[in-house]
Amino acid sequence: MKHSYITPRHKSALTQDVQLLLSFFTITILMLFSTYTFLIYKNYVFTSEKETVIIEKNQLKVSLSSMKSKIEYIEKQKMLSEGIYTKNIVLKDSMVNLFDLVPTRITLSEAKLQEKGLILYGITPNKDVYNFMLQAPLRSIFHRTYSSFYPAKNGWLHFVSTNYIDEEDIASEH
Amino acid sequence: MNINIPRQYLYLSVISLFLFIFVLVFSFSVLIPNGKEYRIKRLDVKKHYKELRSYRNLHDETYSILKELQGKNVRIITAFDTTFNPKKFEKQNKVYFSDLSVKEITLEEPQEEFAVYEVNTSSHINSPKSFYDFLDSVNKSNWIIAINFPIHFKRDKDIIESSFTMKVYCNNKERVSQDSVSVDK
Repeated sequence: MKHSYITPRHKSALTQDVQLLLSFFTITILMLFSTYTFLIYKNYVFTSEKETVIIEKNQLKVSLSSMKSKIEYIEKQKMLSEGIYTKNIVLKDSMVNLFDLVPTRITLSEAKLQEKGLILYGITPNKDVYNFMLQAPLRSIFHRTYSSFYPAKNGWLHFVSTNYIDEEDIASEH
Repeated sequence: MNINIPRQYLYLSVISLFLFIFVLVFSFSVLIPNGKEYRIKRLDVKKHYKELRSYRNLHDETYSILKELQGKNVRIITAFDTTFNPKKFEKQNKVYFSDLSVKEITLEEPQEEFAVYEVNTSSHINSPKSFYDFLDSVNKSNWIIAINFPIHFKRDKDIIESSFTMKVYCNNKERVSQDSVSVDK
């Protein structure tokens, strides 16, 4: 049996090799778990982001459809009002033209403006004045014109002029 | 042949092998599926963000169009919103007539979007010019008014009796309330 006279070295389980290996193990496991944590976190973030985006998208869709219907409605209001304004202007112009047609020698006592007709009541010095100065222009506007006369107290003639535009012609014009 | 491997190295080799197996198993069973999920979700979110951006752009464009339209047509929109008030109408248009009265107001069969009131009026005017001025002013009034036939003028000494029918257009309240409910939702 051999004996040594030197004091024995203190031996540790954590030798330099083991320390190196353990640090390598630790770093590897840390990297693995940090990657795993990153992936889990990111997946969670993406899921919640997607939900938020979908909610926002749906809100935008609702708001968009509401705005579109408002735009459509305003366009309709605009079209309707412009049509009405034009009709009022046309009505005014046709009334101006109508009253301009009546010569100074003829006096109107009543006028009934209808959608497809016009009835005029008045007084004229004689039939010729009426025929040439009022009936002729009325005939050029209306399709059917009827006149009737009856004597007035002052020797003039009362007249009733009934004028119509045929419905078929209005439709074909449109 | 006697292979003399120190026991320490044997332990180290076994632990290294164990770590290697752990890394492989962990990677294939956990990391790679999660990584795939991450890639899919990232692309999906990107796609949703892209769609959201296009919706926002469209929303902003539509909003500016709506505001522009509302700005340009304030008077018309307000006129459609205003309920017809006969007394106010008479007061506003008295300047054109020596006498004006709203006789009868009837609600026509309700249309889908607009309510139409038929209003019969009777008035006295001094000359047709007053009526022309009234027709001009009607287009600038607080309501959307269409002057309708029949229009009747009858001379009575120095004044002219006139009667005419108007159609007053306003928003159908039911439709407006339905719209506001859907916007609230």
